[in-house]
Amino acid sequence: MRFDYRSRVAAALLTGVLYAACGGSDGGDADAGNGESGGEAAAEVAAIDPSTVGTISGTINFSGDAPAMEAIDMSAEPDCAAGFGDEGPMMQSVVVNGGGLANVFVYLSAGVMDAPAPYGAATLDQTNCRYAPHVMGVQAGQTIEITNSDNLLHNINATPTENRGFNISQPRAGITSRQSFAVAEVMVPLRCDVHGWMEAFVGVVDHPYFGVSGDGGMFTISNVPAGTYTMTAWHEQYGTMGMEVTVTAGETTMADFDHTGLQMAGHLVGEPLVIHHGSDEVVFNRAQQ
Amino acid sequence: MKSDRLGGSTGLSGPVFLASALFAGMVVQLAAAAQGLAQDAEAGKVVYDLWCAECHGVNGAGDGPAAASMLPRPRDFTQARYQIRRTGSGQLPTDDDIRAAIRDGLPGTTMPGWPNLSARETEDVIAYLKSFSRFFGMGDPPQPMELGTDPGGGPAAIESGAAAYLALECEACHGPSGRGDGASAPTLEDWRGFPIRAADLSEVWLFNGGSSVDDIHTRVLTGLDGTPMPAASDAMNAGVVTPEEVWALAHYVASLGPSQAPPLNEVVRVGRAEAGLPGDGDADSWGQAEAFYFPLGGQVIEPPRNFAPTVDGVWVQGLHDGNDVALRIQWNDPSRSPDPSWDEWQLKVSETLDMDGAFDLDASLAAVDAEITEDEPRGDAEGEVPRYPDRFYVQFPFEIPTSSQRPYFLMGDARNPVYLWTWDSEQGVGAARGRGLASAEELPEDAVAGQATWSEGRWTLYVRRALVPDPEADGITFAEGATIPVAFQAWDGSSGETERRSSISTWYYILLEPPASNRVVVAPMIAMLLTGAFGLVLVRRAQSGD
Amino acid sequence: MNLRRQPIVQAAVVLVAAYVLFEYVIGYGLPLVGVSSAPVPQTVILQYMAIVIVGVLVYFSADEARWKSFMQPVRDTLTLPDRRVPRGLLMVAIPVMAGWMTYQNVRLSFGAPATLRSIHPAPPGEITFRGEPITLTGLENPLRSSGSMEEHIALGRSIYTVNCVPCHGDRMDGEGHFAPAFNPVPADFTSGGVLPQLTESFVFWRIVKGGPGLPTEGTPWDSAMPAWENILEQHEIWATIIYLYEQTGFSPRTWHEAEGEAH
Repeated sequence: MRFDYRSRVAAALLTGVLYAACGGSDGGDADAGNGESGGEAAAEVAAIDPSTVGTISGTINFSGDAPAMEAIDMSAEPDCAAGFGDEGPMMQSVVVNGGGLANVFVYLSAGVMDAPAPYGAATLDQTNCRYAPHVMGVQAGQTIEITNSDNLLHNINATPTENRGFNISQPRAGITSRQSFAVAEVMVPLRCDVHGWMEAFVGVVDHPYFGVSGDGGMFTISNVPAGTYTMTAWHEQYGTMGMEVTVTAGETTMADFDHTGLQMAGHLVGEPLVIHHGSDEVVFNRAQQ
Repeated sequence: MKSDRLGGSTGLSGPVFLASALFAGMVVQLAAAAQGLAQDAEAGKVVYDLWCAECHGVNGAGDGPAAASMLPRPRDFTQARYQIRRTGSGQLPTDDDIRAAIRDGLPGTTMPGWPNLSARETEDVIAYLKSFSRFFGMGDPPQPMELGTDPGGGPAAIESGAAAYLALECEACHGPSGRGDGASAPTLEDWRGFPIRAADLSEVWLFNGGSSVDDIHTRVLTGLDGTPMPAASDAMNAGVVTPEEVWALAHYVASLGPSQAPPLNEVVRVGRAEAGLPGDGDADSWGQAEAFYFPLGGQVIEPPRNFAPTVDGVWVQGLHDGNDVALRIQWNDPSRSPDPSWDEWQLKVSETLDMDGAFDLDASLAAVDAEITEDEPRGDAEGEVPRYPDRFYVQFPFEIPTSSQRPYFLMGDARNPVYLWTWDSEQGVGAARGRGLASAEELPEDAVAGQATWSEGRWTLYVRRALVPDPEADGITFAEGATIPVAFQAWDGSSGETERRSSISTWYYILLEPPASNRVVVAPMIAMLLTGAFGLVLVRRAQSGD
Repeated sequence: MNLRRQPIVQAAVVLVAAYVLFEYVIGYGLPLVGVSSAPVPQTVILQYMAIVIVGVLVYFSADEARWKSFMQPVRDTLTLPDRRVPRGLLMVAIPVMAGWMTYQNVRLSFGAPATLRSIHPAPPGEITFRGEPITLTGLENPLRSSGSMEEHIALGRSIYTVNCVPCHGDRMDGEGHFAPAFNPVPADFTSGGVLPQLTESFVFWRIVKGGPGLPTEGTPWDSAMPAWENILEQHEIWATIIYLYEQTGFSPRTWHEAEGEAH
């Protein structure tokens, strides 16, 4: 299960005791430097006034025929291959369902004035020799709990450019490593060197206003303070695209992207590229391919 | 200006620095600390530009003019990812870490040690290296991991370490015997996407971070940042292995090979096998034959040159029975070429390494594109990547030289050819006449025979021939008791090694032990008797007076 | 009789001194005082010592009286009754030594055969570069009188690092990563016995023609030095030579010095 800002708000409606229990254990295990206690976060989350925030929701529409995904040859790891149906494991770089493109990271790239401190841990699982999720977002400084659910060796090799990376081995099921990225960086690639096909992308941003399109291309960003922002979508193969969104308190703003609008630029992951989109200057990023 | 930097930029307070220097017994560092050597990045730039920039690049990005002829590539300092550290995975190195890497170099790579730099120059270069990355100076200075102390080695530790090797699944990359032939080895890349080999753990003396048990233990727990080698610290903390077992693992890995380069003996002693020659390369009787190690270097003499060969040394044994001579030759090669699972590796090597004109890069890139657009599983694209066999040549002169003159060591030349025993993983063993590199002309009537087997990252080649060649065949007559020149050449097909792109040696010798002779006893006896008799005569004549 | 006046002792002193000179002073002593030299091969020492022994014998046998006094201790040892013990010892020791020496000669040795190799063989007066004749005698580095020295050094540095480092090493001490595979070992440019002893034209010849271009006494069949005319252009080789001297801090030998020595 991945970290979701909505679950934070849902949790805010629950009792403070539950907060302290969950948050306390997270905080205790978190990396030094994350240094946030559950209690403080609870207080801060509770401070959100529902009358000042709205929601952004939309779909990444995929037009035309989606390219066939490359099959993954998992014959070296039969235990992992057994976890897939007849069609076998496929690469996850372009996943289209019902005309929507999944695994697109959508975040507010400009206009955010103030952001709450990160709360709780995001989780990344390794199951059947794939990362779950394939694309995720975290807040700068937020703990990421990386767990191995396969009873075989994975290593998690993160190669950011704005942050310090890491490369840790998890030779058994049940091992959890806790890591964090200190500053914003879209995107941080993660790979497993034992299984060359295993790749994940982590979008690190300074605030909790991000989402990842799910199966069918839908994404939602909740509890966004009312205001006007630049929102950017990122996809590992198609590139990035910015758009202006205005969030009204208590309402849901609809904002769809079309995958053909996503643009690749000659840049690597994490390197910001400034181009002009309409009248706004927007910072773009693209995937390494 | 220099005094501003005093102490501050070393990241260590004076007493801590002194204590660590004392602990390590590094007199030079102690002297540097005692003199209060500040680090001066500007002075470091002068040294860096003189000695480092050609490989590491003027801006420290690891992209100097010589970088393309090196595999692994020189370090890119801009991201401050340092392989050899005593700090945790992803953390910055300490000044001690950088200092050790400069002083000792990274064995097994093109980075030599620089003990010839003064303490002053070393400190200045450290400051300049750090100035390439904005990560230094952010946050607290890095602290070494708590690595504990070695509880000691011995057979029990080595056995426990072998179990830890399996528990941590080291063989996924390093292979079951540690020769870098694990299932994942062909796909390994460094953080910049350049191909990188899993270390051959049997070549302990070539470990990047040093060959001591302590060094190996540190590498296991901290990983080698920027490479696929992960830190096992989380696995240890999760109880997969105990801290003692990590030490045992270090002892086990250290036991896989010599910690110093094997000594070079120029002459292979080919002993007499009184009980008959072994029939193949696996026979137990090879245990009685002494093994000789010869380092091989890349063929960098005639283009296309091979700047980063796979095979870096060969073990040679020989036995003869007075009629036939047999050689057993063993070398490590993680791939049993031709092997489609190494196609991508070969392409990546050819894109990364300066192939000196040997390889059509555009054609190979087109092959990769074709593979991607066909949406086929990796390595299944037939015929797109040229697949070469592994090969090995043993080279002799046609005649045992009577003076020091020999054919040119690089497979002879037009006037002075060499006699070759050739082996190819597809064609098997044969004989040939060499008139210069890549010019082997088959000698079909030659009676040389043999075969090779590949097991866990090592080829074992067995070659046998009569001491005297068939009357109608051209070939050397192996005279017992003579020093006979010999040279070696190896190819790893899966790294695109073919034709001139090989590993080579210059001339060494083999010597066939002659039959045990009583001459060794009789001749000195006769000499003693004659001398004694002459002495007696002399004394007698002197005393009889004249 | 004063021991120092004993002719046989004098002869022994001369022989020992000669041996020390040949074996140690020439090879190891001279470099200590800055004179370039190399160890004398065993076969050559043997020849020198034979000449010294003959000379000593000629000197002592030239005069009847001197010969007599030279031989006196020998005769005494052979005849005098009170020298029985040393005589007996010699009667045993000398045959045993003879036996040992014979054994050393007949036993099987697994050492590599000795090869004589001229380290700095005499250069030819003229060579070809890709067929084009170049006169070496009196030849100066043309880049020293044209273009920017900084650019020459930078070019030479890049060429050296790509092409020469694998054998001659980053530190220029002949300890490149491929050096252990090659015998003879690559030249050590930090040694006072290499670059400062050579004119730039000599270095140019060695680079252009490499191992295959060595005369027979340079054992061209063993040297792994490539003939760089197949790979590099002339100006690249001259730039590399400038870099070699610049980076090591040595000065090339001038033609003036070379002539002074020849005459």
